[in-house]
Amino acid sequence: MNCYLCDRMMLPHVSWRSIFFNELEEVICLRCRAGFERTAAGCPICSAPGEGKCLNCSQWETTEYAGVIDSGKSLYRYNHAMKEFLHQYKFLKDVVLSEVFASVLKEECSKQNSVIVPIPMNDVKLKERTFPQVDRLLDAASIPYTHCLGKNEVGLGEKSKSERMALQDVFWWNGQAVPEKILLFDDLYTTGSTMRLAAKVLKEKGAKEIKILTLIRA
Amino acid sequence: MRQLEEFLTGRTWLRNFIPFPKELVDKAISTGAITVSQGILDGRQCARCLEKSTQKIIPFFCARCNGICYYCRHCIKMGRISSCTELITWALPSTISPQSHSFHWNGNLTPLQKKASLEVQNSLLQKNDHLVYAVCGAGKTELLFPPIFDALKKGQRVCIAAPRTDVVLELSPRLRSVFPNTIIHSLYGDSPEETGFAQLVIATTHQLYRFKDAFDVMIVDEADAFPFSYDPALKKAVINAKKKEAPIIYVSATPSAQLVKQVSNTSKIFQRFHGHPLPVPEFRSLWGYEKDFAKGRIPPKLMAWVDDKIAKEQPFLLFFPTIELIEQAIVLLQKKHPSIEAVHSKDEDRKEKVMKLRQRQIPGVVTSTILERGITIANVQVAVVGADQPIFDAAALIQISGRTGRSKDHPDGEIVFFHNGIVRQMDKAKKLIVSYNEGAGI
Repeated sequence: MNCYLCDRMMLPHVSWRSIFFNELEEVICLRCRAGFERTAAGCPICSAPGEGKCLNCSQWETTEYAGVIDSGKSLYRYNHAMKEFLHQYKFLKDVVLSEVFASVLKEECSKQNSVIVPIPMNDVKLKERTFPQVDRLLDAASIPYTHCLGKNEVGLGEKSKSERMALQDVFWWNGQAVPEKILLFDDLYTTGSTMRLAAKVLKEKGAKEIKILTLIRA
Repeated sequence: MRQLEEFLTGRTWLRNFIPFPKELVDKAISTGAITVSQGILDGRQCARCLEKSTQKIIPFFCARCNGICYYCRHCIKMGRISSCTELITWALPSTISPQSHSFHWNGNLTPLQKKASLEVQNSLLQKNDHLVYAVCGAGKTELLFPPIFDALKKGQRVCIAAPRTDVVLELSPRLRSVFPNTIIHSLYGDSPEETGFAQLVIATTHQLYRFKDAFDVMIVDEADAFPFSYDPALKKAVINAKKKEAPIIYVSATPSAQLVKQVSNTSKIFQRFHGHPLPVPEFRSLWGYEKDFAKGRIPPKLMAWVDDKIAKEQPFLLFFPTIELIEQAIVLLQKKHPSIEAVHSKDEDRKEKVMKLRQRQIPGVVTSTILERGITIANVQVAVVGADQPIFDAAALIQISGRTGRSKDHPDGEIVFFHNGIVRQMDKAKKLIVSYNEGAGI
């Protein structure tokens, strides 16, 4: 097959593991794979580079959102390759690209003993995009998840950070039983507002421990 | 409404991507000025690029339709086409009033160019396809000026389709200065939006997906070039974009034997406009060059070649078969000559780097086949590393050789094929170049 990203032909990779362990098929070439940059250890909540808790997360801890997130991780940095990927996946709506990070996500989530809760999309946005891009990332890796939240029609994108911090009621509890241990999952972590707002609602509805996982730290 | 008509005449556009207010478009649809059609045809085929392979037409659960929709990955960069998107076209006969054109060119055609130019004009009159088979540097573009001007004056819509953005960018300024009063659009991926009705369109072949029954004259430049020759969908796009009876003018320095056979009207020019012969490639062995690069050293013969060009202050192009090899080589070359640059198809600064070479700000450029055609740099010296690799077929090697000796002041130039064993395509390329110099050809 051809690489999903650069469309060059890829030689099929056959190994004993791929035969016996039903590994996910590689959909992009090694070259394209090398364009993505993994995060190293960094902020224990968002993986921002540096020692200890980052400035941004420390700031959150001085607000009413203090303590809503117990720990967390982002897997990749937002570099040029990732920007292109997100553009093609979210803006051009190339649904198959949900498979690109499937094996990485599968490995990451198999270590967890929490229930995975994806950040939802609101219905208007979903109809516009035609697919729920966060859910699809998990689906591609066959990772089970539960939706506990709904989202109102507020675009966070255009809001400044202080405005974002002031936003209430972006997320609401959808009535599903809230598990004690939760792993909140989203595609992109920028200011942390989405995660903080969502985590707060879940903690108020009985969640004891909330970890977060995002594919990308912008 | 006028602007909408100018924009949409001869085009097919995604309804939700059109740069006009929705109300205006809706109104035009209700009055029948615009027709609407499905994005994916019944046979699971993309209505825009006509792709139908199952690798590119992908089913997914569509949240808008609450069911399975299909989308096309092949032309997705132009905005996604899916079962639930619609394409729109201007349905009424054109009411766009004719433009006036002027022709500003004080160059002269050689007798051979003049003859070919008249032959092209003749074929256009009789609506016959035509092949201009002319060596690199014969002045193919110039000989097309008079027939293009003729067509424009008659109110015909003309398209020049080229295989790559680089070629479109090279052609556009030349045509704009020759036809200063004509509205010309240059279309390629991410090209800036242009307004008005263009009677002359210069576009990459991919952009032709967005036209339908639009052109009275279709000129396919570099007709043999990748990806045009390998992608049947692009061939269909050319046929689709022109009006049914419109003739196609193929232009190539290295046409396939099939194209030569298929088109009966042919003009051949095997002499460069300055009358000097084509530089003939020289074969030089470079045994085990891949191992050398992998071990972090530049093969001495290659290094000597590069040093020589830098010492003589001659600009050079160094072609490599793969991006991987370019990446290894450029690091090593820059250790010795930090100002050498590398370009490849994914390189966003490609234009600037070639410009720098042309202006002699940098000594040389390491490149993939992306620069094999369409570029002219005075006094450039050329070498191909790994000329034995399959990506360099005879056509590519002839095109690469054709970069040398293009200017009147420097009609000579060195062209070296560094190889790890001579292969048939290298021989074929050399033989053809020699035969052109002798006045023969395919």
